[in-house]
Amino acid sequence: MKLVNRHTSLGKSFFLSFIFFIGFLSSCEEPYTPSTSELEQEIVVEGYVEAGNGANPVIVIITKSIPFLSEVGPEKFSELFVKGASVSVFDGDKTVSLIPLCLNDLPEEIKKAVAEALNLDPDNLTADICIYADILNQITREEGRRYDLKVEVENKILTATTTIPYHVPLDSFVWMDPPGDPNDTLARLTVSFQDAPGVTNYYRYFTAEVGSGLVAPFSSVVDDILFDGKKFEFPLQKAERRGGDFTPETFGLYKRGTTAVIKWCSIDKEHFDFWNTRDFAANSGGPFSTYTRISTNIKGGLGIWGGYAVSTDTIPVPVK
Amino acid sequence: MSAQNAKTFTLSGYIKDKSTGETLIGANVVDLENPGSGTITNTYGFYSISLEKGTYKIGFSYLGYKDEKFEVVLDKNTQLNVTLEEGVLMEEVVISADKEDRRRNVEGTQMGTIELPVENIKKMPAIFGETDILKTLQLLPGVLSSGEGNAGFFVRGGGPDQNLVLLDEALVYNTGHLLGFFSVFNTDAIKNTTLIKGGIPANYGGRLSSVLDVQMKEGNMKKFGVEGGIGIISSRLTAEGPIVKDKSSFMVSGRRTYILDLIQPALKGTNFEGTNYYFYDINTKWNYIFSDKNRLYFSGYFGKDVLRFRQPSRDFTFDLPYGNSTGTLRWNHLFNQKMFMNMSLIYNDYQFEVNGGQDNFNFRLFSGVKDWNFKTDFDYFLNPRHNIKFGFNYTFHTLTPNTASATAGDVSFNTEFQPKRAHESAVYFLDDMKITNKLFMNTGLRLSLFSQIGPYTSPIDGTVFNSGDHVKTYGGIEPRWSLNYRVSKELSIKGGISVTTQYIHLVSNSASTLPTDVWVPSTELVRPQRGAQYAIGVFRNFANDAFETSIEVYYKDLRNQIDYAENYVNDISKDLENSFVFGKGRAYGAEFFVKKSIGKWNGWVGYSLARTERSFEAIEDGRWYPAVYDRAHDLKLVANYSPSKKWEFSAVFIYGSGRWFTPIRGFFFVEQNLNLFYGPRNSTRLADYHRLDFSATYTPKPNSKKAYQGSWVFSVYNMYNRKNPFFVNFDIETDFNTGNTSIEGTQITIFPFIPSITYNFKWNQK
Repeated sequence: MKLVNRHTSLGKSFFLSFIFFIGFLSSCEEPYTPSTSELEQEIVVEGYVEAGNGANPVIVIITKSIPFLSEVGPEKFSELFVKGASVSVFDGDKTVSLIPLCLNDLPEEIKKAVAEALNLDPDNLTADICIYADILNQITREEGRRYDLKVEVENKILTATTTIPYHVPLDSFVWMDPPGDPNDTLARLTVSFQDAPGVTNYYRYFTAEVGSGLVAPFSSVVDDILFDGKKFEFPLQKAERRGGDFTPETFGLYKRGTTAVIKWCSIDKEHFDFWNTRDFAANSGGPFSTYTRISTNIKGGLGIWGGYAVSTDTIPVPVK
Repeated sequence: MSAQNAKTFTLSGYIKDKSTGETLIGANVVDLENPGSGTITNTYGFYSISLEKGTYKIGFSYLGYKDEKFEVVLDKNTQLNVTLEEGVLMEEVVISADKEDRRRNVEGTQMGTIELPVENIKKMPAIFGETDILKTLQLLPGVLSSGEGNAGFFVRGGGPDQNLVLLDEALVYNTGHLLGFFSVFNTDAIKNTTLIKGGIPANYGGRLSSVLDVQMKEGNMKKFGVEGGIGIISSRLTAEGPIVKDKSSFMVSGRRTYILDLIQPALKGTNFEGTNYYFYDINTKWNYIFSDKNRLYFSGYFGKDVLRFRQPSRDFTFDLPYGNSTGTLRWNHLFNQKMFMNMSLIYNDYQFEVNGGQDNFNFRLFSGVKDWNFKTDFDYFLNPRHNIKFGFNYTFHTLTPNTASATAGDVSFNTEFQPKRAHESAVYFLDDMKITNKLFMNTGLRLSLFSQIGPYTSPIDGTVFNSGDHVKTYGGIEPRWSLNYRVSKELSIKGGISVTTQYIHLVSNSASTLPTDVWVPSTELVRPQRGAQYAIGVFRNFANDAFETSIEVYYKDLRNQIDYAENYVNDISKDLENSFVFGKGRAYGAEFFVKKSIGKWNGWVGYSLARTERSFEAIEDGRWYPAVYDRAHDLKLVANYSPSKKWEFSAVFIYGSGRWFTPIRGFFFVEQNLNLFYGPRNSTRLADYHRLDFSATYTPKPNSKKAYQGSWVFSVYNMYNRKNPFFVNFDIETDFNTGNTSIEGTQITIFPFIPSITYNFKWNQK
């Protein structure tokens, strides 16, 4: 995956190509090795609490950051997952302890189900992935509620707070021909939407073709400052996996004859800030930007503890 | 000299080029029997010197010109206009003329001021053969390039927005084409360039670090001429000539790139048909001499970069035009032989725009700065001991932040950001004093006032200000002071203090500036930047003024510095000023300079040892960290060799400590993707930078009396192909299912060994 500079804004990329062009295409590359290598690892929390149609159960993944080194094999990768942590969530009424689960310890059938819930590919799954989950579904998940996360690991305590905001779903979906040259195999999705007036809303969305995992687009979040309270239609682009090959001809379009899954979410400000800074940091960079630190709501570590109000729609893409 | 009594009279006039009638800026006027008593011409070629009644031998000289001597019987106020003839540097006759110029190293009260004649710039080696004023300035100690091949510059630890860049007095807000790789200054249209990097005199204001004062050519008053050049990147053409001989002249100069125009036929029928990029500049100037006392000038600059991206198969369009326009109307008036006035009305406009769309979705992003500026400056040559300048300056600013709008079908979206408006004004007074024959002092005071006006809604308490309402007013008391103690004819010690205030700011998310960077005014939230610089130096000429040397040390204290917060995201829905953090800065260093400007071998060596730091409460709790403008060691070597009139050779060597950057500390997984996190800001350096460039100028017929003259410039950039790092790119491969992850860093160099060739030509009416 090319993290830096692949998704820089079009203008900058074009300028850069021009510079390379006038440099007689002779700009050169050399391996870069940092003069100092930091070996200290940070604790990374990734956990979500979701409510609504198509909501996932509460899952928290605790990993360690990777120091700047060149390669991580399956063994080292498995070591990144922190086992033996004590993870609990307070939902306003009660505190629920999450149960640790390592996928390799599970019976094959359950492993497959969990892998799918985690957006993994069960057929190719060889790494030993460990998570913490609310298996018994004890946490009350509903809009307007606040959730406190507490992680105790290696004599450290990490805390975070999130909310599930009130949801504003998409209203309707219309399939259209893509702009430009006529095309019978691809379709564009236009959705209509009515934003809630008077409050600042934050949104994030995912798309998938049935049978493959949900993916968030490169710029996955938006606030409603430009469209507060408005009713309008907009093209909802199909998201591409980060690091996948970028094909401008098909980008953002859905294959006719498949079934699309659209997961549309409302999130709170801190949750928005995390993805907003993450997307910006991943999309920019390169020679023309300085760094952007990814905002986090985890006290004592990196990552995100995020609430989602969710509506999921499964819609066939009609054949022409 | 024979002084009969104490009564003084004034000798004044203009000094011009004999063949073109162009006024000469900074030409020397000296009483030959009393060297050190002289003066220099101002920006408009005017001089005035008051002497006791008597008979004098007065010498007039200018770098690269044959000098003139006149015996003047001064028994009344006398006007003497002088024309000087361009000479060849090596000829014996001009050596004495240059000497006055070299003496200025020791004699002037100004510190850190450098004038660069354009003729010298044109012979320097340049990347792709594109000679550039700003890149030549970067060869001076204390002036740094903002990046590989970039025309942006930092002066003594100051940011790129802290340089006051003036083109015929009009502010140039964006000095770069093509992401700053080329400057907006077309060398063919330029007459004179002055850089002041320390001890800014009181007649300049509004920026903290430096002044770059660029003057366009006026146009030949005597005969018509055309000159130009054909290069790899761009070509140039300039025409000039008299409208009314010796009274009025014009100059028009143009430059344009064309590489992508040439490949347009190849794009036909492809998925990129219509895609193009080019930039151009047009400089134009007109002037009219009504009388000895009145002269009018009009000058204009129009430049633009245009990027056009087309993808017909998806009905996708993207346009990115940006550029500056400036216009300056000036009136020179001589009240009497001691009092010179210039009144200017100036307009400047910088616009940046992005337009795009697909199908029924269209978007537009716009930002810009527009100024109306009125200023009046007086030069009062009171007596030989006092040369006084005073004046006032008023600017009305309109700064449009990033305003975005979009339409999707019938629905439109708009950030509805109002342009921010402000009044900026200043009055100043300065006196260039000769206290004794050994002690000289330049004392000045500038009082500035800045007032933000509505419409505006306070981000602090929500107060709504209507159009024209005063929102916030800031003032600045800016003393400027410099002293020269002349120990001997060859040695002087100079010192200075200058306090500066800056009300308009540019904050950049990149190491250099980009056209997307937005100028913002001081507001309720953003306070004016303030700076104080203290400098002291020793200036010594050797070997009968053949070598000019200096050592200068400086300390700079900067307040209310502005940067983006560390988690900055360029959200178009957010007013930029809400993304800022505020802090302070300091810079200190020593600069060593040795220059030889005569002889077959000439050139200079500059070295600076410096430290530049910033501290922001919101960034790592105020830890002092090295700024991107910091370069500990910076060495520049410029050598010119002229074995004959046909051949001239130049070589440039640069060595600088590596640029600071913020290292990656590690990576972490979220949603199965790896994300970067960083160590402390600017805690690691890239590898040291060094490079050798070379150029040879061949003039086949240097003594030709024909109207047409041509010359070739052969240039090599990065002679030994040093792989200077431009940036580091990371390739990350990860498969969350199998756990295989690899991270590879690649250091990228953009300008390797680059040869180029340029043909320059000149045609002059006989």
